[in-house]
Amino acid sequence: MMDAILGNIIWMIAITIGGALISWSVHFVPVGGAPAAMAQATGIGTGTVQLAAGAGLTGLVSAGFMMNVTDNLALILASGAVGAMIMIAVTMIVGTWVYVYGVGCVPSSAKVKYDPFTKYRQDLYVSQGTEGHGLPTVSFVSGVIGAALGGIGGSLVYYSLIEVGMSVGLQGSGVTNSVTVNALVAVAAIFAIGIFFVNAVIPSYNIGGTIEGFHDPKFKKWPKAVISSLIATLLCAIVAVIAIAQLGGI
Amino acid sequence: MSVGGAGGGAKGGYSPQNIMALGIVGGLVGIYLGHYAPPAYSFFGGLGAICATVWGADAVRRVASYGLGTGVPSIGMLSLGMGIIAALFGLAVGGIAGPIVAFIVAAIIGGVIGALSNRVIGMGIPIMEQAMIEISCAGTLVILGLSVVIAGSFNYAAVVQYVVANGYIALIFIIGGMGILHPFNASLGPDEKQDRTLMLAVEKGAIALIITGFASSLHEGLMAAGLNMLIGIVIWYVAFNKHYALIKRDAYAVVGTGLLPSAEELQ
Repeated sequence: MMDAILGNIIWMIAITIGGALISWSVHFVPVGGAPAAMAQATGIGTGTVQLAAGAGLTGLVSAGFMMNVTDNLALILASGAVGAMIMIAVTMIVGTWVYVYGVGCVPSSAKVKYDPFTKYRQDLYVSQGTEGHGLPTVSFVSGVIGAALGGIGGSLVYYSLIEVGMSVGLQGSGVTNSVTVNALVAVAAIFAIGIFFVNAVIPSYNIGGTIEGFHDPKFKKWPKAVISSLIATLLCAIVAVIAIAQLGGI
Repeated sequence: MSVGGAGGGAKGGYSPQNIMALGIVGGLVGIYLGHYAPPAYSFFGGLGAICATVWGADAVRRVASYGLGTGVPSIGMLSLGMGIIAALFGLAVGGIAGPIVAFIVAAIIGGVIGALSNRVIGMGIPIMEQAMIEISCAGTLVILGLSVVIAGSFNYAAVVQYVVANGYIALIFIIGGMGILHPFNASLGPDEKQDRTLMLAVEKGAIALIITGFASSLHEGLMAAGLNMLIGIVIWYVAFNKHYALIKRDAYAVVGTGLLPSAEELQ
């Protein structure tokens, strides 16, 4: 058991960094929660966990797909990042259509007077009794940045777990026709999902469930969540590395 | 998504200690019985998972009553996220003591995350550490119990081959999480009652047993799968009727709205 830990310290560090990246990424994603679903707050109308999981899991799938053709870490991370960015950008643009053409409100932020990118005035368009609505440009850009970080974090965790498994002689990729395809891929993916959920919930408690993006005052609280995630992910990394190293023996 | 309770401790007829005992003893006994009994009796794992689901739902109920600031589903997903890591680790290193090792590791991970939430992030929920330990352990037992239903044992090789490698673990992740997070998420509010919430947890656990029973037909054959599903359906039927009776007890009135009016009637 100690051999597994000592031999894979580099991958455990990579998993921990990946977890911290996921935790940081959640602070960028404009999560509106239930109020946003009723167009009473800026952001996407669902919870952090659902959004982070959606983006992160798409990132995992696209990273895993890239691992079929190459083992170049930079390409795999880029593939994961782009997958997650596409996922969240599509969610946000369709959400904006619904807010603009369905609900009939102007995308506007209640946290800043002028949008940092477009310089458009915001406060005039915020309906009374709401905290903004829709997805203004700054939230959209922030969400795409967040998805990129989350995708990189998720693929880094997955890649590291696959490398740990390959170091004990398992096959990291490949396609067969049997129902039980590849134990290592499945175990690494489910551990990556577990680590992803843990690191999506910790920052969601930090921001109190809603955030508009990097221009939101709550964004400044991110170090607390990242430190918590570093500790929690390190613990998960040790456990996951030992469990995957044991796969070599069965 | 809802933001949770009114900001105080939850009250209810059954004490947390009794439900914890039910979850731990019922969960572990069910998992071990399902492992040692012949494959046809793998439904014992599901019965253990139902006990653990009730425990997890009660712990979610107690911690989410303080108001998490975010939706109740987040804590259910966290529960299964921690649980899945602990469960596979326990099976990998523990051998025959696997579920117990998983349980202890889950308690450690839950305790650390609970302490981080309170000390570093500053959530200020007095029972956070204890509740996180309970939720994480309950999530672990649910995963192990449902895995035993599908694989017929908790041997690491069998679980990896029959549950993880073919992706049933994702199914267990979501239906197990639903059983823990949904009861309080659906029942919360000023008129929330403990027995009604927990009966909903039993019903959700039974649905999980039916679905995993269906999944077990791949490895255990149709007879065992049919037995798993039959027991799940019986428990579901009883729990659903009880839950409906509790709804009628707590509601001011239950009235039928009838069918939608037809086009002629509207004119």
